[in-house]
Amino acid sequence: MRRSVSYLAVIAAAAAAAALGAVAGLASAASPATTEAAPEAPVAPPTPSPLIYPAQSIPIRFDHAQHARLGATCEGCHTAAARSTAAADELIPGEAACRGCHKIDRADPTKAVPAGQGAARCDACHIDSNGNGWLPALTMDGGVALQPPRVDLARPNLKFNHRLHASRGIGCALCHTAAAGQGMVTRDDLPMMASCLGCHDGKQSTARCGACHLTEPDGRLRVQLTTPATIAAGGTGLLQPSGSLRGFDAHGPTFRRDHAQAGRDEKYCLTCHRRNDCIDCHGGVVRPPDIHPADYVSLHVGDARRNVPDCSSCHRLQTFCVGCHQRTGVAPDATGGQPGVRATNPFGTGTGVKQFHPPGWARDTAGVVIATPRPDSHSVQAKRNIRTCVSCHREESCLACHSTDPARGPTVSPHGPNFGGTSRCRFLSARNQRVCLKCHALGSAQLDCEP
Amino acid sequence: MRLAISIAVVVCAAAPRAFAYDFAVDVRTIGQGYQVRGFAPDGSNELFSRRRLTQYLDLGVFDIGPSGWHGDDGTRNVFYFDASLRLDADFGGYILGAPGGAAAIPELKQSELVILYAFFGARNLGGRVDFQLGRQIHFDLVDFYAFDGADVLVHLSRLVTLEGLLGMEVRGDLPLSSPIYELDGTSSGSRDPATRPDQSSVIAPMAGAAVAVGTPSGAYAARLAFREVWSATADQLPGEPASGVDFEAVSLTASANWRNRLTVSGGVRYNILFGEFDDEQLAVRLRLTARQWVTLEHDFLAPTFDGDSIWNVFAVGAYRDLRASYELALPNGVKAYARGFLRFFEATSDEVATTGPYAGQDVGAADGGRLAGGASLGAAWHGARGMARADGYWDDGYGGRKIGFDTTARLRIRRPLELEGRATGYRWNDDVQIAGINQGVVFGVQAGGRYQLGPGVRLHLLLEDNFGTYYLSQFRGLAMVELDAGL
Repeated sequence: MRRSVSYLAVIAAAAAAAALGAVAGLASAASPATTEAAPEAPVAPPTPSPLIYPAQSIPIRFDHAQHARLGATCEGCHTAAARSTAAADELIPGEAACRGCHKIDRADPTKAVPAGQGAARCDACHIDSNGNGWLPALTMDGGVALQPPRVDLARPNLKFNHRLHASRGIGCALCHTAAAGQGMVTRDDLPMMASCLGCHDGKQSTARCGACHLTEPDGRLRVQLTTPATIAAGGTGLLQPSGSLRGFDAHGPTFRRDHAQAGRDEKYCLTCHRRNDCIDCHGGVVRPPDIHPADYVSLHVGDARRNVPDCSSCHRLQTFCVGCHQRTGVAPDATGGQPGVRATNPFGTGTGVKQFHPPGWARDTAGVVIATPRPDSHSVQAKRNIRTCVSCHREESCLACHSTDPARGPTVSPHGPNFGGTSRCRFLSARNQRVCLKCHALGSAQLDCEP
Repeated sequence: MRLAISIAVVVCAAAPRAFAYDFAVDVRTIGQGYQVRGFAPDGSNELFSRRRLTQYLDLGVFDIGPSGWHGDDGTRNVFYFDASLRLDADFGGYILGAPGGAAAIPELKQSELVILYAFFGARNLGGRVDFQLGRQIHFDLVDFYAFDGADVLVHLSRLVTLEGLLGMEVRGDLPLSSPIYELDGTSSGSRDPATRPDQSSVIAPMAGAAVAVGTPSGAYAARLAFREVWSATADQLPGEPASGVDFEAVSLTASANWRNRLTVSGGVRYNILFGEFDDEQLAVRLRLTARQWVTLEHDFLAPTFDGDSIWNVFAVGAYRDLRASYELALPNGVKAYARGFLRFFEATSDEVATTGPYAGQDVGAADGGRLAGGASLGAAWHGARGMARADGYWDDGYGGRKIGFDTTARLRIRRPLELEGRATGYRWNDDVQIAGINQGVVFGVQAGGRYQLGPGVRLHLLLEDNFGTYYLSQFRGLAMVELDAGL
């Protein structure tokens, strides 16, 4: 029955997701893959990360579509592109490339040309910081500003070899898909990772992240990147997945708590992280304050009973939890302490000073072992979440009562009705009978899971 | 001329081949002093002082071997070594005395030197094989383990990979070993010390195999894995089994991504030791718009332990989680989220009382019931000079209630200096404890900073003070010096 409920819930969750997906219009165009940058990046916009392609200044007005209609080709103007081997190469054509059609005369900034010819005025292409056409003008000190605002392209944090791609017959439009049909083309229009992965699929071409991204000496991706903006802010920016590649890899505000699904593929995590990044939390020595707030010792009791967050994802119950509880006196086992140091366990059961477990936990007020379960009795709580018990107790605590050996104490069976008929009994007895022998005698019928 | 050519040939022949080693060294020294709430013999509260010194030494050597080995694409036959050592010395005292002998706990020792991992590895060997040899840690959605041995991956094609592993589980009783990734449920001091004191020190072989399929881009992926840990019976008596299985499971994890908008990911684990599924997870993440995401998750988890542990026959309760979160990206680097969960503890077969005051009733559903749930809400801002974040949370139901807030900020003052602060407050109510110790309020503040002493050298200082229902001041201080160098 439990299995049925489980699968029903799974199906229900999937149906809910499908409904949400339909509402959101999944049939619309695929979104571009982006990386998210902190500190200065907007989140998952349909533009490249400013850490990959830093902000740029192109004080030019230019209409690619118009030039394309007039027969201009990519290679005709961007002559250096086919020879470029680095993403840092500047591939915006210089004035010389324009002069073929635009009869520019620097001595005549407002030169008029007959209709149908390419404009030759400076302000036909150059613009000032306000977006207005630029012409040489008197400056404040009486001089003449002869140079228009300069194109400023910061070095991309990426590897790219145009020559290699061109040599394999890859046309410009395959990556710069819309360039020929639009006006200005800026960094916002540069190809993003999703389009790269169309070919870089591990078959047609390498799918290694480091083939395009900058890498550390050990092959991990370099995630601390500098751009003019980060340098101005006095540091570096952190490159993080936006989720556009694998969904659950988005390093959003809940990622530190909810990264189990992303961790499904350890090799993907290790693309950027060292293993010690995992160990810092999953077995670390410094309390992460966002997971465990101030004085977590006071708060952890309820969290542990509820198992939210899952203690065992970072702590081993029988060592870390038991050890810490013994050190602070929250320990029931005599073997876990030295009574001579502090004769009275101040937080054990039945001391009358402070009872860790509520009255009626295992015995009634007369000291008689409770035979039937009550809401606050230990049997219900133990079955509900035995991890809580395991974080303080050792097996001897249970064996004191739950053993078939009368020499140890009451022989109360911890098994539910028909335990012998369960798969857990049969499988466990067949795979590791040692655990059964802790309570049952060799040769006893219970070892064969007889009801 | 002939002489010159001869000399050049001899010199070239005698010259060493080009090697390209990269070394990375990360040394972290962490000192902590803090106070822990405890309980005095008279029932009052007291604060125990703790002092702790931790030293990490991480060493990596990469790209071992001649650069000419790497093939035309520069990615083949890459050899490397990666290791992490940790010395953790805890100077705090044991209020009940340090357990020793059979009761000793191989974690949180007063002084513990462990090799967290140390392995020699190769990537893309012959264009087909990856391997790691040594102490290593592995994880996936439903498994997390450490072993000393070999792990080999053979890439049959760009889509299919076979994996095999063989070694010994890392147990706390082994030299220079920590039990942090050991199977839970038993420990050195509780592995049936009365009758079988040496079981914990027996070597536990581990073997596993897996087949994985998937595209490099992650559009879809699946992995079917099997792993088993077993151990010989220590001090075996006549009639007892010669060995026992400590862990044996088959797991399947998978994910698929549709057009970068919908991702489905999940996994199941069938525990052969118990003949049951003990872990089932399914999650869906949907990008509603360029700035909005919704995540839905379903988990089913049944507690299982080391095969030698009697907890396995006590633990029959499982729980099921439904979680949902919504994320919204706002302008100027701000992200906000809302998150909620509902946990249902499943009924067990014997929770209906047959006698007594609850006769005929399902006692598990009474007084606290089987439900727990909670919600949290928050926003984070990342800017050019720092970050700020605020969260509020509320949990209720089984386990009690907690409601609180957490705010933190970090600000880069100028190039080498960052300041940070945090303010926290919460109220908790326990649903089991007796009156007088079943609720409290805590407020805490943190202040600190990070200073770049030089290239790759950082100093991090942090001070914290808390006050609340049970004390007026609880202090914590942390100092960390980190040296990160590469050659």
